[in-house]
Amino acid sequence: MGRQFLAILRKDLIRELRTREMLVSMFLFVMLALVIFHYAFGVDDEADLTSLTGGMLWVTFVFAVLLGLNRSFAQEKDEQCLDGLLLCPVDRVTIFLAKAAGNLVFLLIIQAVSVPVFTLFFVERSYLPDLGLFILVLLLADLGICTLGTLLATISMNTRARDLLLPIVFLPLIVPVLIAATSATTAIFAEGADLGALLGRLGFLAAFDAVFLVAAYGTYDFAIGE
Amino acid sequence: MKKLVSAPALFAYAGALLVAGLLLGFYYAPTDASSMGYSQKIFYYHAPIAETALVAFGIAFVAAILYLRDPQPKWDRLGYASVRLGLLFSLLVMATGMIWGKAAWDAWWAWEPRLTTFLIVCFLYAAYFVLRQVVEEESRRATFAAVFAIVAFIDVPITFFAIRFMPEGLHPAVITATDTGMEGSMFLSFVISMAGMTLLLVALLRADVAAERLRDEIADLKTRIGG
Repeated sequence: MGRQFLAILRKDLIRELRTREMLVSMFLFVMLALVIFHYAFGVDDEADLTSLTGGMLWVTFVFAVLLGLNRSFAQEKDEQCLDGLLLCPVDRVTIFLAKAAGNLVFLLIIQAVSVPVFTLFFVERSYLPDLGLFILVLLLADLGICTLGTLLATISMNTRARDLLLPIVFLPLIVPVLIAATSATTAIFAEGADLGALLGRLGFLAAFDAVFLVAAYGTYDFAIGE
Repeated sequence: MKKLVSAPALFAYAGALLVAGLLLGFYYAPTDASSMGYSQKIFYYHAPIAETALVAFGIAFVAAILYLRDPQPKWDRLGYASVRLGLLFSLLVMATGMIWGKAAWDAWWAWEPRLTTFLIVCFLYAAYFVLRQVVEEESRRATFAAVFAIVAFIDVPITFFAIRFMPEGLHPAVITATDTGMEGSMFLSFVISMAGMTLLLVALLRADVAAERLRDEIADLKTRIGG
């Protein structure tokens, strides 16, 4: 299973690194969103946007993920790659884990470039001492987003509506992650919350990840179709 | 015996209990002593509707698991009917909640945890219908709908819990683990309304599933005669 997992993940990464179409559009989307946020919320240069930072960041990421998820399966479907993949003697769950891991890697790459820019644009306080905590929030929230996102993207690409369906099924389900990640991120940016204060939210995110990993594990066979 | 649980009989019981609950709530239970006063009476409908909506989604969840284990159309019909009724009851929760909110807090809408949860639940299960709409092949539609019903039902309590991370809400926490928070007469009215609402769900569900089955049969017959 480990080798098959790595093989599928490697295939996704290589294909993306050759074309870079998904990463480039996700990155440009995030940057554009930040510029738009500046004009939408920053009515003047003095305006303090600190209390909005968590929300801005996570709204942007969630929408960027939607772009990526749609792409990651559109290619599989258009070129009949998925049929080939399904014909291989590979466990469906392995396909799920590899696809989710691929989406996670792409999201992390986007975050690695855009968070510094975001900080430069909007965060006035240095949160360097809390960087570890912030990365933990990112990882836990990303894991939940990619788990649920991959499951739902698999379902939507098998329907007539495809990329139209994904946001409608994905966004209401991801609200809990958005709430926990947003409030944790704003706390870190605003006053540098300590681990104790954020423990509830971190635990919640971890529990969300665990629950939906199990749910996806149990249902992916059905989601990917015959 | 069969007559006692027939569809019209179930509707009659539900109706009788709901009327009884309403009368008891207005004439037997005392008017709420707190600032809510008379507007608290809507509680005898609002809370049972909310409970019933969640029961309906719970039934859909169980039906979905049963369908995935053994793909028979009857489980899909049950799940579909449950979600439809659950969504209907959720919309009623929102409506009664807003009316109560206007009376109690003088605002049609407040971002209060339970009300907000139901708002998200409405979006969640509205998506269920969009999903069904865009899958043509029947068995595939049922399978996807089942997967979504499972994931959605798991998400409901998680959403409710997550909203608690936001600043405190206004919702009166009436029933806690140790205390029903109600006088005996209030509790009686509440339980009777709740029983009536749950029975109403069962009656509607049966009627809905029966109608779906007939629809499937007609479609089947039509294809057989080549129509």
